[in-house]
Amino acid sequence: MTTLSLPVVERRRHAGLPPAVTSHMSGGRDQWSPPLKEAPVDTVQGTWDLLQEVLDPEIPISLPELGLIYGVEFDDGVARIELTFTATACPCMEFIREDITDRLESEHWIDSVELTEVWSPPWTSDRITPEGRAKLKKLGVSA
Amino acid sequence: MSQFTDEELMRKVQEGYMVEGPEDMTEGYRKALRVQLTVQADTELMSAPSYWMAARYAPSTNTQVSAHAIIQDELAHANIAYRLLEDIGESKEHLVYGRQPHEFKHPYGFDQPLDNWAELVVATGFFDRAGITLLTDVHENTSYAPLKRALVKIGMEETFHLRHGEVWMRRLSKAGGEARELVQRAVDWMFPMTIEWFGLPDAMKRHSGQLDFKLKGLTNDQLRQVWMASTVPLCEELGLNAPAHWDNVKGEYVLDYPFPCQYDAVDKHWAFDEGEISWDSVFERWKGRGPMNEIYVESVQRSRMDVERWLAA
Repeated sequence: MTTLSLPVVERRRHAGLPPAVTSHMSGGRDQWSPPLKEAPVDTVQGTWDLLQEVLDPEIPISLPELGLIYGVEFDDGVARIELTFTATACPCMEFIREDITDRLESEHWIDSVELTEVWSPPWTSDRITPEGRAKLKKLGVSA
Repeated sequence: MSQFTDEELMRKVQEGYMVEGPEDMTEGYRKALRVQLTVQADTELMSAPSYWMAARYAPSTNTQVSAHAIIQDELAHANIAYRLLEDIGESKEHLVYGRQPHEFKHPYGFDQPLDNWAELVVATGFFDRAGITLLTDVHENTSYAPLKRALVKIGMEETFHLRHGEVWMRRLSKAGGEARELVQRAVDWMFPMTIEWFGLPDAMKRHSGQLDFKLKGLTNDQLRQVWMASTVPLCEELGLNAPAHWDNVKGEYVLDYPFPCQYDAVDKHWAFDEGEISWDSVFERWKGRGPMNEIYVESVQRSRMDVERWLAA
């Protein structure tokens, strides 16, 4: 996906136009760090750090900041993530699952990702972290 | 009424002055804003029945949810734009329920039927991309402050529509066979449809109140280029033929077909081989509206009077 965006940016710069309107980078893909060279000592914390780079497909704050991640376990190369969605009719479920899996599986120390949907306790806006709240405020979105 | 003349206000907005309400506007500004907001509101509103009738082709409950979420967003975005129109003295009731189908100002593309899932996803990939291209420009450049604030959330929601379109275009293209053929066929009619949507070329454009009053920032040709700069590479990546290419010498995207050209709405076919036509014939086609115009408008308006009558009884 990154290879696609480069020629676009190059062409547009040439044409003197503003940044491309594209959703290729949805989920924060343009901000993802390169994979770690070595596995972190604390793999659970390391997994949380990676999730911190995965943004909500609509609002540019991370999934942990939005309060969607309920738990992380790590066992023998398998990252197990418990997550919820803001609504049972969340239209972005599929994209969120895809973004988490793509980000985590780009690491050589993560062999696979298991996602478990959790609906209890249900998500409310109280679950948004202070950092997430501050970012939303900056964007002009109330929470 | 404004303390400025049109010329004074044009100069002030170019220098960064933001208009907050009717008291800051000249009549010229209000008229230009009314036209721009009406097109924006009608486009969002008419995308809803167009997508709604196509959502029945969704292949799973989850994709039904996604498709209907897009429709819900479009209706909400229309609501915001009509609400902004009310702020400058227009009636939402009249605009939504009091007009005849041909009086709506949405683009011709939303008068067309979407006949399968491939057409719906290319519509979200192409038409919503045109919408976000236009609205991003307005958000970045408009001198009308309430509109700028309203567009923050709208922009975020539209990126989900684009992604929906892209993900599904990729999936169907990769599948090959009939799925890929259907996507290509949708691209064949929707690419030129979106190109035409951006309107008259700059060289032919009469004076633009929207640009003079800085209600938007980019010209029609620039907006077409922005749209192509993300659409053409997407099609190339997916191995789909798009009738445009990057010209290194000109430093811009160039169309591979006569523009504008005639469209057969029954066969969903652009008559590239018949050559370039005049913009007057394009305006005539737009004015005649497309095959679904009355059906889409009727689907929005049909129950209003009945329910009003029941409630009044």
